[in-house]
Amino acid sequence: MKNKYRLLIKSTLVLISILSLVSCSNEGNLNDLNETIFVRHKNADMPAYIKGNASEKVFLITLHGGPGGFGLGFVGTAFSKIEENYGVVYFDQRGSGLSQGSYSNEDISLDLMVEDVLALVKVMKLKFGNDSRFFLLGHSWGGTLGTATLLKDQSDFSGWIEVDGANNPSGLYDQYIETFTSTANTQIALGNSLEFWEWVLTSVAEVDPVSNKDDFFKLNSMSFELEATLQKDNFLNNPDNGSESDGIIFQYNLLTAFWNLSQIQYILVDEQCLFQTLDFTNQLPEITVPSLFISGEYDMVVPAVSAQRAFDNIGSDIKELRIFERSGHSPIASEPERFAEEVLRFMNENK
Amino acid sequence: MKKLLLAFMALFTFTLSAQYESLSSSSFWDKTEFKIGYSGTIFWSNGLTVGAEYVWKEYDKTKERRGTERTNTHQFLFNGNLGFATNFASKTDTGAFTNFGITWRRTNKKGKQFSIEINPLGYYRSFLPETFEVNGDNVDKVFLPGRGYYAPSLSIGIGRQRKGKVRSGSYFNINYSPRFNYNAGTLPTFSLQYGFRFNFKNKK
Repeated sequence: MKNKYRLLIKSTLVLISILSLVSCSNEGNLNDLNETIFVRHKNADMPAYIKGNASEKVFLITLHGGPGGFGLGFVGTAFSKIEENYGVVYFDQRGSGLSQGSYSNEDISLDLMVEDVLALVKVMKLKFGNDSRFFLLGHSWGGTLGTATLLKDQSDFSGWIEVDGANNPSGLYDQYIETFTSTANTQIALGNSLEFWEWVLTSVAEVDPVSNKDDFFKLNSMSFELEATLQKDNFLNNPDNGSESDGIIFQYNLLTAFWNLSQIQYILVDEQCLFQTLDFTNQLPEITVPSLFISGEYDMVVPAVSAQRAFDNIGSDIKELRIFERSGHSPIASEPERFAEEVLRFMNENK
Repeated sequence: MKKLLLAFMALFTFTLSAQYESLSSSSFWDKTEFKIGYSGTIFWSNGLTVGAEYVWKEYDKTKERRGTERTNTHQFLFNGNLGFATNFASKTDTGAFTNFGITWRRTNKKGKQFSIEINPLGYYRSFLPETFEVNGDNVDKVFLPGRGYYAPSLSIGIGRQRKGKVRSGSYFNINYSPRFNYNAGTLPTFSLQYGFRFNFKNKK
């Protein structure tokens, strides 16, 4: 009987030890952060995944694309390198990823989402101290949100990194027509995927020259097919090489995340028609923080001309434009080494 | 036609009352089963549910199929569940739920069961990690952060009865439970449930 009790006590101790080891985390260790916190703001609870080396209290706050993308969608080769040097905050925006809350369609606006980002900064300051410094990085739709955030309040940011950012969403329609036509003509001249590029020219000719929602969505969905063809014909690196999307599949309940994506896209893009109305070009001179614009040369989703125009119009004294020759809409994943190098250099110079 | 319908209803009531008589003679514990099982989506959430079922009405229905008579037992049960599920890969999808309603279950002579469970009364409470609330320039840490949602549920499942045994059956359900109001709408959630039922009045 005694032996049985001893065995039971031993098993319990072993189990407790295993559970203690498993539950060990990097919380509280600034050199190797791995924390998840939530920001509650105006009826939404939004997760912020804080990772990396924040020993200098320098953080890169990332804004995902979409609208409705995943904060952890950035995770991969490039961001692993950035995390070795700085803290990185991956943020699920309102109505995106695993954000939750309770509000109406009418409550949602770009301005509210901007306030959410500024609320995140306030939380980070409370948690890590007022001496913390922040860089803001926005990819695609994150470029729209980031630009709007800086226009509202840029005082807390040491720098702005726009990656294939849609700072002029209403201009995308014309850019699609121009870029698709010129790319198709170039590829036809080179003799690549002739049938496909002929179809592109025909399809572009069929759209209304005046911007409208239906044709915008048609062109937007075509843009991904164009990039896939360019990748097939070896103009682009495979973006799967630098991403770790497999790893995040288990972190996001995909049913929830995709339902969130469809809802927020419907509200912002269909109901509020943000992509038909927004244009920050004339306000860009108001942004004066150091800025780095990165774009893939073959970006068909937000063509590189967007980055060029933003670079030309931004009010910052310190501004850089980097075009990644082997990339489309995802230079983070298709040229991860160069991407990390450019971002780290920019942060080192401006922190 | 009306007479036929009345006669049928009278017969049905008589049959039922005969059945219920025998059922009503059994004790509360005879009619109550407890259940425990897995609940989750396997990929993104895994957890446990416990619950109880109380037989409210029970009757046998005989049908003739391919020349042989087949008698199935139909039951209506009051049903209550309490569960917890989490995503072990993240800290962002943890919650507890409870729901109450009614189950219809058909059991054939071999003990194979088919059931539909409707729980109009349901509540889901998410549990979040460290959370900070921002109001203007004020930032406060939230005590016991999370959100509550009205979460009714509908389950369709199969199972097997073990007559007279303490472990009186097993079940496998596909569960649909919407959460109201989730962000700007209603979040549909699906989960699988697999577990065992127990009747402690049984002696084996």
